[in-house]
Amino acid sequence: MNREGMFKIFGCIGAILFAIAVPLVLSSTYWTSVFTSIAINSLMAVSLRTILTIGEFSLGHVGFMCLGAYTSALLTMKAGLPFGVTLPVAGLISGLVAFALGYPFMRVKGIYFAILTLVTSESIRLLAFNWRSLTGGIDGLIGFPGAGVLSIPGLGQLDFDRFTEYYYLTLAVVCVSLFILYRLEKSKLGFTWLAIRDADKMAGAVGVNVLRYKVIAFSIASFFAGLGGGLFAHFERALGPHPTAFFGVMTTIYLLIYMVVGGKAKFVGPILGAVVLSLVYEFARPVEEYQPMIIGVIAIVVVMIIPEGLIGIPEKIKRWHSR
Amino acid sequence: MGYLEIRKLTRFFGGLAAVMELDMDVGQRQLFGLIGPNGAGKSTVLNMIGGILRPNRGQIIFDGTEVTKLPPHLKARQGIARVFQENILFSSFTVLENVEVGYHLQTRIDLSSIFLETRSNRIQEKALQQRALDTLEFVGLAQYSNELAINLPHGRQRLLALAIALAAQPQLLLLDEPVTGMAAEEVETMLSMIRVLREQKGITCIIIEHNLKAMMGLCDRIAVLNFGRKIAEGPPEEIVENPAVMEAYLGKEEDVT
Amino acid sequence: MALGLTLIFGIMRIMQFAHGEIYMLGAYAVYYLTVSLKLPLFLATCLGMLFIGILGLILERFLFRPVKEDWLSAVVAAVGLTLILQSGAVAMFGLHHRNLPVLAEGPFNIMGSIFVPKDRIAAVLVAVFLSLILYLFLKATKYGQAMVASAQDPDGAILQGIGPNRMSALSMAIGCALAAAGGVLAGSMFQMGPYMGLLSLVKGLLIIVIGGLGSLPGAIIAGISLGIIDGLFPILFGHAWASLSPLFFVIVILVIKPQGIFGHE
Repeated sequence: MNREGMFKIFGCIGAILFAIAVPLVLSSTYWTSVFTSIAINSLMAVSLRTILTIGEFSLGHVGFMCLGAYTSALLTMKAGLPFGVTLPVAGLISGLVAFALGYPFMRVKGIYFAILTLVTSESIRLLAFNWRSLTGGIDGLIGFPGAGVLSIPGLGQLDFDRFTEYYYLTLAVVCVSLFILYRLEKSKLGFTWLAIRDADKMAGAVGVNVLRYKVIAFSIASFFAGLGGGLFAHFERALGPHPTAFFGVMTTIYLLIYMVVGGKAKFVGPILGAVVLSLVYEFARPVEEYQPMIIGVIAIVVVMIIPEGLIGIPEKIKRWHSR
Repeated sequence: MGYLEIRKLTRFFGGLAAVMELDMDVGQRQLFGLIGPNGAGKSTVLNMIGGILRPNRGQIIFDGTEVTKLPPHLKARQGIARVFQENILFSSFTVLENVEVGYHLQTRIDLSSIFLETRSNRIQEKALQQRALDTLEFVGLAQYSNELAINLPHGRQRLLALAIALAAQPQLLLLDEPVTGMAAEEVETMLSMIRVLREQKGITCIIIEHNLKAMMGLCDRIAVLNFGRKIAEGPPEEIVENPAVMEAYLGKEEDVT
Repeated sequence: MALGLTLIFGIMRIMQFAHGEIYMLGAYAVYYLTVSLKLPLFLATCLGMLFIGILGLILERFLFRPVKEDWLSAVVAAVGLTLILQSGAVAMFGLHHRNLPVLAEGPFNIMGSIFVPKDRIAAVLVAVFLSLILYLFLKATKYGQAMVASAQDPDGAILQGIGPNRMSALSMAIGCALAAAGGVLAGSMFQMGPYMGLLSLVKGLLIIVIGGLGSLPGAIIAGISLGIIDGLFPILFGHAWASLSPLFFVIVILVIKPQGIFGHE
């Protein structure tokens, strides 16, 4: 294990410890819920980046989040299934829809694909909004069951309907998901994805079924988006027009900014972006109307001065020193 | 009957026929050249054989199997590999990793390896690296294994592209302008490499080139295209004498050094 | 009539084909700024277009040109700009919706037997007028032709002596000016709010895709068809399905002809 590897591992452990400590230190439900959001957003941003590793770019990631959210909510509400079941199902449904759409979508050129995904996510959102009988339209779904209560013999009961417990649940799910995504990227699969991103013509010429690999990446990313959606739904405990707007273009914009400002080249980048920018946003609450503006300014500044994103800063400093 | 048979291959772009009713037979282990002025349709033919373009009409039969409509990755599976005119390499990867991509068809992606570094996976990794290294030795690039592919000079990049194609274990290799833009010694290296491919590995090659002198020395047979049609075919000595060929090239700035 | 609206979006999209997807977001962001006009409508519109066009030039020079290489960065820049402008609009004008003086357009009192609101007709007319001017500009003037050339073949255009930076600047300026016009038109028909730009952004993107990146007639036709769909489908099929229909339409078109109706790439 070289120095960089050790650094990474310690960094991870440190981050996890920090994340675990947060609710204990800042014992306020407000901050706990903020960090819950941050966790979910990190997952969203990182899974968005997964699509980037094949050289494509999706503007519709939130659509799958929306799909997942409603799936999980509806299943708990109407079918009475427990959260432990509905969450993975939410992910699966999103992944499958992405799989089905992926084949026609990925045949088209980059920018067109991006636009298609945007259209898809808007359609999903509008569908959710308009399909009265299923989703309650303007009134929305309210008060569907939360994650419920889990009895662990010996430890007593864990009531996931409470903020702190839900935070840890979310943290656990997000960490596992991030781990999976990380391993995927480092695996042969991820290697092939990178090859496709660099030169898909060449990859095809040596036998890579480019279309299939692209669709797989898209589906996996969307699976996790669906998962994020499920987590979000049971966190908010309500899905209606106001939260539904959350699944619109604005959120897409924010996710995009998290990803790029944090750094799209490295896995950790989007996480960093999500954390930092979310915190900035929170601290900017007093000047509410200017919140988007602040984020926008940061986005522009970073993109112009440090295009690699925030995680690119250590590299830059190193280079400055060696001058 | 040939190893690669092309029957009435036709391809239109808009209203224009880029390739019109081409018949061609390439024998096994042949070094078959394809020449013609710019825009004659040579690259289009190669694109169709390689699977990037679908012919509008016609057939491509390789070693008895019809492969006309197969996409590139399935063509690769059949044993047809391609070296592109533009040096397309995997820019984020090292030289070694580039060749490893080429071995894609022979590697299995094991789901379990995603989560655990099992011993068998590590062995497989090592084996893959070794094979890639062997291929690099074969083309003479072994010492650059850990360099980033894009840092290599043009001539070596061409060799790398060849190595990647070789990794796919082809029986038929499509070479699109392999020596264009190379210095004289590099040209010689590449040409002898191609000959070695035939001698040692029994690979059949179809080569597009503008460097006529190189082609004369290299190929067993040459076909000449002009405006999408074949105007001549035969051994180099015949082609050189052929008046129709002369006419096709008249007035063109060809590298007939 | 939704037709007019989508036609307007169509115009705004058109500039995109010239120099890149990125500018479009900027132009939309600029949409918001049209809110501030308080003078007599016609004069205000012209001034607004001029002002926004100049703003577009400035933005292009300082914001977009440096990041043109890395398109993702450029998208983020544009998006950041959108946030800034949107936020600024909220800060300056508040969240609630306002109306631009429609009634100034009212005097076009040619009422037929079919009940079509006059202001919509006026809007459509203006949109058509602007499209025509744009079309003529592109076809008949030196600069216009240069823009088309550098859109289709950037390198070739450079060789002809057409400066790419100039073209980018020009297309951005025109795009922004048109966006401003569109904003005024839309604002006079519907309520204005800080978020109006996003909806039109989506519609506009759809139009480009369907019509084909790079073709003005394509954009117009796409705009019209989308307008028809938007107008008719909710009546025929109900809202839920109507929102999905553009998606299906787009998928179908792209599957059949991946470059869009008239695209060439």
